[in-house]
Amino acid sequence: MTKLLHRPLKAFAIYALVILAVSIPVYAWVVDYIWVNELDENNWLTLEHTKEKLVKQHFEAEELKLVNRLWGQVQPGIAISPAPQKQVFQDSIYEVIRPNEYDLDDGEDRFRGLKSYIELNGKPYFITIETNLEESDETFMAITLVTAGFLLILVLGFMVLNRRISKSSWQPFYQTLLNLRAFDLSRSKGLELEDTNILEFQELNESLQKLVERNLVVYQQQKAFTENASHELQTPIALLKSKLDLLLQEKDISSEISEIINGIEAPLSRLSRINKNLLLLAKVENQQFEQQEDIDIKSAMKFCISLFEDYAENEEISIHNDIQESYTIQANPFLLETLLNNLFSNAIRHNVENGSIILKLENGTLYVYNSGEFVLNEDSLFKRFSSSTSNKVSSGLGLAIVSEVAKQYGWQVYYAFEKGHHIFSVNFWNSDFLPN
Amino acid sequence: MKILIIEDEQELAKDMMKFLASEQYLCEWAFDFEEAMDKISAYEYDCILLDLMLPGGDGLSILNELKELNKQDGVIIISAKNSIEDKVKGLKLGADDYLAKPFHQAELAARIESLIRRKHFNSSNIIHHNEIEIDLQAKTVKVQNQFVNITKKEFQLLLFFVGNKNRVLSKSALAEHLSGDFADMFDNHDFVYAHVKNLKRKLKEAGYGDYIKTIYGTGYKWEQ
Repeated sequence: MTKLLHRPLKAFAIYALVILAVSIPVYAWVVDYIWVNELDENNWLTLEHTKEKLVKQHFEAEELKLVNRLWGQVQPGIAISPAPQKQVFQDSIYEVIRPNEYDLDDGEDRFRGLKSYIELNGKPYFITIETNLEESDETFMAITLVTAGFLLILVLGFMVLNRRISKSSWQPFYQTLLNLRAFDLSRSKGLELEDTNILEFQELNESLQKLVERNLVVYQQQKAFTENASHELQTPIALLKSKLDLLLQEKDISSEISEIINGIEAPLSRLSRINKNLLLLAKVENQQFEQQEDIDIKSAMKFCISLFEDYAENEEISIHNDIQESYTIQANPFLLETLLNNLFSNAIRHNVENGSIILKLENGTLYVYNSGEFVLNEDSLFKRFSSSTSNKVSSGLGLAIVSEVAKQYGWQVYYAFEKGHHIFSVNFWNSDFLPN
Repeated sequence: MKILIIEDEQELAKDMMKFLASEQYLCEWAFDFEEAMDKISAYEYDCILLDLMLPGGDGLSILNELKELNKQDGVIIISAKNSIEDKVKGLKLGADDYLAKPFHQAELAARIESLIRRKHFNSSNIIHHNEIEIDLQAKTVKVQNQFVNITKKEFQLLLFFVGNKNRVLSKSALAEHLSGDFADMFDNHDFVYAHVKNLKRKLKEAGYGDYIKTIYGTGYKWEQ
């Protein structure tokens, strides 16, 4: 994964590299061309001047030799030498590489020369004018160095600019990202995004806000539906229950009928439990339990045990309550009671014959151990209606409620399986955020 | 004893009236808020069963009205809402008890009986029943003036039976009475057998009549 802004930077850098690389031979050629042209012109001017002066001076052949010798000593760029015969000779331009003792780099130099023909005192002569010219590979090297320097400056500039631009203009984007990360459908009232003057981000923010609003509405409807549905179910369930109570009072009920009635009681109470749990979940999600009190886990657990110890005893499950010290937390008493009851009743229901339950409270973490045979699937354990065991009758919502209640207070719930024991732990101290 | 049932669900109100009719109770029924307000201002009741969600108004306003009229009627809130806030609010406004729907009729009957006893016999906290004497304050039981050593749960069961004489009580009703609202977390309520068996044995040993009958496959009945 690369950051979005690194992509254009890379592309720009490569583009700049290519363009500058191509520019190096072009510049070298242009500079060389200008050089050569200027030198040729200069050579020609010098030649014309020299010719004119020579013609005006009317030098003898001997004198010309002397002049040439003097030139050779003082001004080696120009030379005059007798031509073998009279001829028609056009000015010619040549280039030659010659050793140069003054050149310390490679001992060679490029010369641009102009050779011309002149007749002095009726005798034919050649005049050559040579000027030292920067070698083209040296020009090339210099341009390459300069260009590389510019490339470096350019890329560094890109990076600095990129960072600045990303900081200032992408800031709204990162702010939006931050808000989105913190957004939680179940506890938020909406997505608050700051206005920005960058069109794309403003559009993004507006679209996100609309999306979230729509989702919130759907979510609220869904929550309201669950709450309303289970609420509506309460009355018929209550009626069924009361009708059964009345039916039981009838005289002369045969034992067959009373067994059937008895058989209705169990599924009815299960139905009632599921319904109550659904309602409870909806209410917990809606944060309808605002009132908080100081509650001591130790005594709350004690009360919970007193409620259910009969059931444990009936299944011949032994309870070892190793909770020694009090630990006080802030919570809604009903929610905490619900959490503890669900954990504890689970420990009874999903136990084995002659099994045991161990309760511990260490450093603000409550541990509920109960005998078991297999590791449970942790992924689905806390989800609704994802019964991990098929043979036990449960509402399928107990642990979902535990996890939802814990979520409300920022407590951590963990599951582990060790040495034939399921271990559920609730970490009460790590409540780093409070419900709003 | 007069009882007013304020409940918009007709069938449920009828069931309650039917179940309670066997006692010395005279039941009246108010369907909505208006009717309930008329009745409470016109008559005195020993116990009012109040549903909080009524057509025409909030049940909690009825509690307010009772308070303003300075009425001494006992009130049991029966609500499908089962919300702690409502419960706390209701009890603060002067309700005596709170029962969440769905409930066992026997539970309601026991609560009514207990409420009426508190209201009418608050000087004496002792129930006499043939040769048995139940001290509600001290939570002790005497048979022929001899203390019977019974557990807290057996005591609760005994009171439940006494409040539901001649009625068949299912195991689940007994279990719910003992474990409260969370009893339906379990399907098996067999532990009730053990408690009832012990209670029967202890009372019998102390010389009390064998009033608790086992109804096969269903539960128990206090016959008298």
